[in-house]
Amino acid sequence: MMHQPIQDYQNQITRRHFFSRAGIATAALSTLLGRDLFANDAINQEATGRVTRLPHFAPKARRVIYLFQSGGPSQLDLLDPKPQLKDRFGDEVPTSVYPDERKTTMSNAQSSFATAPSIFKFNRYGKSGLQMSELLANTAKMADKICIINSMHTQAINHDPAITMMQTGSQVPGRPSIGSWLSYGLGSETSELPAFVAMSSRGSGKAGQPLYDRLWGSGFLPSVYQGVKFRNQGAPVLDIYDPPGVDASMRRTMLDHLSKLNEIKYAQSGDKEIQTRIAQYELAGRMQASVPELLDFSQETKSVMQMYGPQVRQQGTFAHNCLIARRLAERGVRFIQLFHQGWDQHVSLPGQLRKQCRDTDQPTAALLHDLEARGMLDDTLIVWGGEFGRTVYSQGNLTKASYGRDHHGNCYSVWLAGAGIQGGIRYGKTDDYSVNVVENGMEPHDLNATILHQLGIDHERLIYPYQGRDFRLTDVHGRVVKEILA
Amino acid sequence: MRFCNHSKLEVTNGHFRDTISIQRRCCNRLTDYMVEEFMLSLPKLKTLLAICFFFLIENAASGDESNTDNDNRLNDKVNFTRDVRPILAAKCWNCHGPDANTREGNLRLDQREDAAHVLAAKKDSTATLVERITSEDSDEIMPPADSKKPLTKKDILVLKQWVSQGAEFEGHWAFQTPQRPEIPFVDSSFLAANEIDHFIIDRLKKSNLAPSPVASKETLIRRLSLDLTGIPPTVDEVDEFIADPSEEAYENLVDRLFASSRYGEHMAVPWLDASRYADTDGYQNDRYRYMHVWRDWVIMAFNENKPYDQFIVEQIAGDMLPKATLKQQIATGFSRNHRINSEDGSIPAEWHVENVADRIDTLGTAVLGLTISCARCHDHKYDPISAKEYYQLFAYFNNVPEWGIGPNNGNSPPFIEVPKSWPNLSDDENVAALPAPVKLRKAREKQDGNGLRRPQAGQKNTVMVMHEMKTPRKTYLLRRGQFDTPDKSELLKPAVPDALNHIGETPTNRLELAKWLVHPDHPLTARVAVNRIWQQFFGMGIVKTSENLGLHGDLPSHPELLDWLSIELVANGWDIKALQKKILMSSTYRQQSRTTAELDAIDPENRLLARGPRFRMHPFMLRDSMLSSSGLLVEKIGGVPAKPYMPPKIWRAISNNRYEQDKGEQLYRRSVYTFWRRTIPPPTMVNFNSAEREVCVVRKDRTNTPLQALTQMNNITFVEASRFLAERMLKHSDNDALAIKFGFQQLLARHSTPQELALIQTAYDSFHAKFEQDQQAALQLLGVGEKARDPSLTPSRHAAMTMTASLLMNLDEAITKE
Repeated sequence: MMHQPIQDYQNQITRRHFFSRAGIATAALSTLLGRDLFANDAINQEATGRVTRLPHFAPKARRVIYLFQSGGPSQLDLLDPKPQLKDRFGDEVPTSVYPDERKTTMSNAQSSFATAPSIFKFNRYGKSGLQMSELLANTAKMADKICIINSMHTQAINHDPAITMMQTGSQVPGRPSIGSWLSYGLGSETSELPAFVAMSSRGSGKAGQPLYDRLWGSGFLPSVYQGVKFRNQGAPVLDIYDPPGVDASMRRTMLDHLSKLNEIKYAQSGDKEIQTRIAQYELAGRMQASVPELLDFSQETKSVMQMYGPQVRQQGTFAHNCLIARRLAERGVRFIQLFHQGWDQHVSLPGQLRKQCRDTDQPTAALLHDLEARGMLDDTLIVWGGEFGRTVYSQGNLTKASYGRDHHGNCYSVWLAGAGIQGGIRYGKTDDYSVNVVENGMEPHDLNATILHQLGIDHERLIYPYQGRDFRLTDVHGRVVKEILA
Repeated sequence: MRFCNHSKLEVTNGHFRDTISIQRRCCNRLTDYMVEEFMLSLPKLKTLLAICFFFLIENAASGDESNTDNDNRLNDKVNFTRDVRPILAAKCWNCHGPDANTREGNLRLDQREDAAHVLAAKKDSTATLVERITSEDSDEIMPPADSKKPLTKKDILVLKQWVSQGAEFEGHWAFQTPQRPEIPFVDSSFLAANEIDHFIIDRLKKSNLAPSPVASKETLIRRLSLDLTGIPPTVDEVDEFIADPSEEAYENLVDRLFASSRYGEHMAVPWLDASRYADTDGYQNDRYRYMHVWRDWVIMAFNENKPYDQFIVEQIAGDMLPKATLKQQIATGFSRNHRINSEDGSIPAEWHVENVADRIDTLGTAVLGLTISCARCHDHKYDPISAKEYYQLFAYFNNVPEWGIGPNNGNSPPFIEVPKSWPNLSDDENVAALPAPVKLRKAREKQDGNGLRRPQAGQKNTVMVMHEMKTPRKTYLLRRGQFDTPDKSELLKPAVPDALNHIGETPTNRLELAKWLVHPDHPLTARVAVNRIWQQFFGMGIVKTSENLGLHGDLPSHPELLDWLSIELVANGWDIKALQKKILMSSTYRQQSRTTAELDAIDPENRLLARGPRFRMHPFMLRDSMLSSSGLLVEKIGGVPAKPYMPPKIWRAISNNRYEQDKGEQLYRRSVYTFWRRTIPPPTMVNFNSAEREVCVVRKDRTNTPLQALTQMNNITFVEASRFLAERMLKHSDNDALAIKFGFQQLLARHSTPQELALIQTAYDSFHAKFEQDQQAALQLLGVGEKARDPSLTPSRHAAMTMTASLLMNLDEAITKE
């Protein structure tokens, strides 16, 4: 026998799989799009006293919108002000601060590691006076809702392992992404949309890095928990539209007859999987109606559209995805993750970063405002950040107007807002160069543990047995950073 | 069958204490009844227990770990493997197990000699272990609260009983060489076709179950064709089989399918998944590599029925065989199929370690059925594999003249050229070649200070292989598995884990390791192979966790059968087709798959096999079946990967590459040839649970989701296939009903019933009426896919039949092997 908490959890999961096989229509639907079974009285009655239900405790967040900034946004130019570095412009960064072993092979053979202070101004915003870069001036209007974390750090110094670490808790591929852990653990509150939706965008910045399906994949969890990737061109969900020439009434005729024929087969074979399949086809039919409605912005007010900015109407932009994110949130999707590419500025950082922020700052601010106006910021956790930070030394030439920055894992910055996060504060501290964490270090596991905690999940008890081991998103690590909670 | 833990009814009074567990699926109502009754009148308990007895039997008989929940067993002898070890493994061994580094209080509870002092009863008192697990002192209680692994009352009872019965340990079954079991006696009232049936029936009888009748001939030919070739039979093949009344008809069919070259294409798929075969490097920009020649080698190996021992030896160490052939050298691509990082800035030494670790991981899962990789950072927590032993295994694969990072497009050294004549090599060509040594170049010379160096890239005419360096690399234990933390106090020599070494001698190099793996006394290699073949046919292995036969894996449902088959496999010269034929000829395999509520309640996963298997097709089989039924399938063995239809901008949308779809024949090749980009695998395949091919995978769940329904209804591949099945149907007969009957039989191998036919005909008529009114819509539908329609067919009729064919292809039965 497994030990108690695992077994309890196992029992719940087994129960879901049982229902998915049992072909009880509503339960099967719930399972497959991950409806929250444990809010369902009929099913709770079936549970016996020994079963611990998820969430483990009262959640602060009902959903997460994770604004992933892929490529490694520069903490020095956005969230971690180091005004004193102005005086050290061009000075060598001492190896006592930045040891050679931690430099990537892209810059470790440079003859000089010259200090490159940010050319951007950091102002104080809100009642809290939280300092943020001028590049984030719109987002900064919500400073009193935002908690900046300056003390993130990671082992990885390359994109693939680093982003895989952030998303799955391991640098090596094969494990479930955070969103799939959540849909496995919590399900969603909708029966017409998936529990976990991922979207991607790229803007005018040129410093893009590829993404991979594993970032929203389910690893060793059943693939029903994988994120559904909304495509940024053409049909948003794969094969959601009927083929040309086929209209809704024909589809209905087809589905009705399919269902009757499958019922005949079920009566003869007794395999409950057939009942589940019948339900899945009905659900697919409903998704065919609900997805176009989701993407139809015609009911949005002019002011809302303006708030998100001119790109909001253009599929594949960050602004467009931010508005879809809000609409998904309203419709009960549990975990919504946006991936914005283009933050990998090895050269010409100032110019590239301006473009990146022009594309993302206004929509980010709009999303926060919009959620707040709808009373949803209180139970929506917003996470903003990338896979690592960037070096204080210039990669390539340093001039008064321009510099580049290489990958930097020893410290980076993210911010959180909403759903029980204390606003207007800064957590953790880096040294004078923003090279090393000197106070309250947080690794990706700690961030993930904290996200799970806000959703009412004890990260040590969200477990899936695989290959004879009980796996967790946070592996054997993770600390809930209670200091940032309201 | 983990359900049985849920509804535990605890019944306590002054005189009588017992805990009854009930398998909840089968007796929810009974539970309610019992609770109610019990409240009313305690004396009825005896009757209730009698009612429960049936369920308890089933529960105990399930071959599942859950049967430890039967507290009535506590009066009997506790079984270490079944009852005790799971508790120790789950709750104690993390701190008191094989891993010396995390061991607390210098106590290990996985070996009797080390645990004796806490298991022995003390004078006038209980054993220390019992004291600690029952202590009410929060400082004393074990496991401690902060482990979050408390023992259940049931666990405590089991452990107490075990200690009182002398606390015997047993070695793990899978680490002992299989012993030929007795074939159970089965009386003649059962139709046992061969030995397999004796084991299965014997087990069924213990659960008061009987096997199901033989399936219809239609079902059998479809089942066999799908299982052996991945493609359903044609209408003619079905008719011919049904018309053959001879006793040998079935066996002849089996032999005919074995001889089909489709067999190798189909059988290769699980091995390609296990070998994480793909056409790209798998990290970051995920550029091309060229390993399809290795894939062809696997297909040919299955078609030639290469004995499994040779199959393994050539893949692990074909390059080191005396007078190695080029083909044997190419086989070693198995250990080069791992991902290779070529991201700018990567540290070669770091990624070299990852490459070797992936080889060990794959060897462990695919050949040994063990989670060896757990021992990379620390001694294995459950299985007897120390971190040192992990790095001793590592040493066998650490001598490849490779550069840790890749060239960022093309094959990474070592690679060899493949003659143009592949696979029809002349004797002169079929000789192992010497790979060129690694040549490094500066990757970004224009960028000042960029220290990145990359190796030369092998082009399309090459394949990656294993090769040994003249002077082996030094292997050290890496603390925490990190490349930069070697424990240089001890240079490690290659060696295999002690607990698995039943041969005695230590293999000194990779070739000897390969031979050690296939030694007849090896406890795991044959069992793992048998189990995976069983899983392929029945949907689940005899050991459900086919990726892990170790201490934390599931116990086998039929341990004797697994051993018997493994011994037979070895005794028959590792003849895979002979093993498969034995399974396919059994009555067990030939049963019908129909189930009932009662049977489903007792054995929902069909582990006892009181019926035949029934489960949704693998995605490759699904696509290939539809292409074949529609007549679109282009059959040609091997060659460069095919790039069939993909969603628009499938790669471009999130990466820096562009997918260039093929034209013509390559659109309709079998799915085993579909170009596999690891970071963006074909979404329709992944939707239906194909392995992603990033790491070794030998088992995937089968899900049932709305996205699958959308794919089957709307995806271009499936719509085009329905267009061409419709064309075949219309050409078969001018009569709508006869046309429909033909399409139905092609997909399902059986005739439609009048009721089914009437329903389909109604649907067709409705589609037809619509398309009659809207010819434009008909032409639009008939324009889906690259292959042009036959203009001699009336568009409205063709379009209506296309929708009808699509309806048939979406039937549960059409996508299910039953």
